Amino acid sequence: MATTSVGSIDFPQSKASGLRFADRRKLFLVALALPAVIYVVLVALWPLAQGIWYSFFDYNLLRGGGRRTFVGLANYAELWTDSTARRALVNTFIFTFAAVTIEFVFGLCLALLLWREGRFNRICLAFLLIPVTITPVVVGLIFRALLAVDYGFFGYYLAEWGISGPRGFLASTTAAMPVVILIDVWEWTPLVALILLAGLKSLPGDILEAASADGATAVQRFRLVVLPLLLPTVFLALVLRVMDAFRVFDTIFVTTGGGPGDTTNSLMVYGVKQGLQFFNIGFASAIGNVMILCIVVLCAAFTLLIRRADVRANER
Amino acid sequence: MRAQTRQIAIERTTLVVILVLYMIPVLWLVSTAYKPPREIFSSPPTFTFSPTLFNFERIFQLFDVWQLLKSSLVMSLGTTVLSLLLGVPAGYALARSKSRYAIVVAYFFLAIRTVPIIATLIPFYLMMRDIGLLGSWWAVILINTTLNCAFVTWMMFSYFRALPRDMEEAALTDGCTLWGAFYRVALPTVVPGIIASALFCIMFSWNDFLTPMFLTNSDTKPLSVALLASFGTKDITWGTLGALAHFSTIPIVLMALFLNRYFVQGLTKGVH
Repeated sequence: MATTSVGSIDFPQSKASGLRFADRRKLFLVALALPAVIYVVLVALWPLAQGIWYSFFDYNLLRGGGRRTFVGLANYAELWTDSTARRALVNTFIFTFAAVTIEFVFGLCLALLLWREGRFNRICLAFLLIPVTITPVVVGLIFRALLAVDYGFFGYYLAEWGISGPRGFLASTTAAMPVVILIDVWEWTPLVALILLAGLKSLPGDILEAASADGATAVQRFRLVVLPLLLPTVFLALVLRVMDAFRVFDTIFVTTGGGPGDTTNSLMVYGVKQGLQFFNIGFASAIGNVMILCIVVLCAAFTLLIRRADVRANER
Repeated sequence: MRAQTRQIAIERTTLVVILVLYMIPVLWLVSTAYKPPREIFSSPPTFTFSPTLFNFERIFQLFDVWQLLKSSLVMSLGTTVLSLLLGVPAGYALARSKSRYAIVVAYFFLAIRTVPIIATLIPFYLMMRDIGLLGSWWAVILINTTLNCAFVTWMMFSYFRALPRDMEEAALTDGCTLWGAFYRVALPTVVPGIIASALFCIMFSWNDFLTPMFLTNSDTKPLSVALLASFGTKDITWGTLGALAHFSTIPIVLMALFLNRYFVQGLTKGVH
């Protein structure tokens, strides 16, 4: 792995202390790393293991005195048989795919616009990043207010002109999902743009110059030179956003609460409702574990895709 | 040359248009807070209004704003300090270790960050209930420190890895202790990384909503939870909500704008 190479360079040891020094150094580094490792094992891995254990039980704090009954894989089966859960699973995939695709397209355009060095672009970028820093709950509330049909900045006119229907986009079974996707796009496109911009700025300048000296048009330059070199950064931005979009909670919870009906319900929203409002611990744990599984599969799929793209780029 | 100036002009105009469109929701949030209640609920919406501080007076009557601010601050600072104390040394150790397991451990920290919080929150909730920490600031600090310390470890790992070892080696040959090589030689050179890490820990935990919603009670809840919990009661208007949102968003937005360099560094370097 390329990343380890820096970590494994051998440096001349000071001769005076010899072998004992190397051992002391090892111990010192272990001592520095140990508190963090122990902490994460105790406070993250241990609950994670418990969650896996709970997922095999019918375990509800509000029913049967919180007694646990072993049910095997029934909770996981319920994820597919329970229509709300299945809908949440499908919704989460639709949301993730749509939001990340749009964020990537807009983000790339924005990054190309901001590519030129200069103070103007730096200031623009700083302001564009504001949505990333705003409390997600507030983001949800802002859009809920903007889309309110009776007095909202957009909502009033959308309803008045008959675009959204009298109850507004957030209460519409067809429009609510696109709207929560749009909110995510508003919030996170700047982040995608920023990551891609960092990638663009690290491209070797001489290659770009050579391409334009060869008379390549802007589109050719982008498709044949920039894009292949940018691929690792694209991969990074996509993985990052897919993982976060898959876990979407705050904005959906605040704007629609998963409704109307189940139309915007995501796995995270459903899991939180099941686990921490209805205290259906076993089922909610199963939802959490399935989410982890999905994220792992998505990451693996991305890694494979990028490998294949890399191979194809090298063959060319 | 002419063509280039024109292209720059086109680019800049496009950017300004995008920026203006982009800022509408933010500007709306800010302006609502200064609108008199009657005009917020006017239908159709009005665009001109005489600014008032009424909404700000109102939130101090309706909420214990200082207590909410204190909760948010205690939880985000607590999480940040704990995460830095755990994560910075760990990042250094992993970057300097010659063991081939170091990179495995580093990826382990990265993986922890990708776990959806619901998977750990439920067992953690029961755990906190059993040891009596439910409803306290500690519960939130403890669980948020897992994700944030994993983040800091990974971020500092990448900063320390980019740092040549020569200076530390020279200091060690000159008789500096191992701790001294870390604390006095390596640490001062990665201060930008530490600032960026701290900035992100503060932002993550200040903006966090899900964990405090279930782990705190009415005395310990932070701003983010109060914002939503209060919503729907009849005294709360969009104006008071906008005013309260000022307190929850402005500190972070200002921090990100003033420390923009570190913020951008963190986003491009540490988040992955």
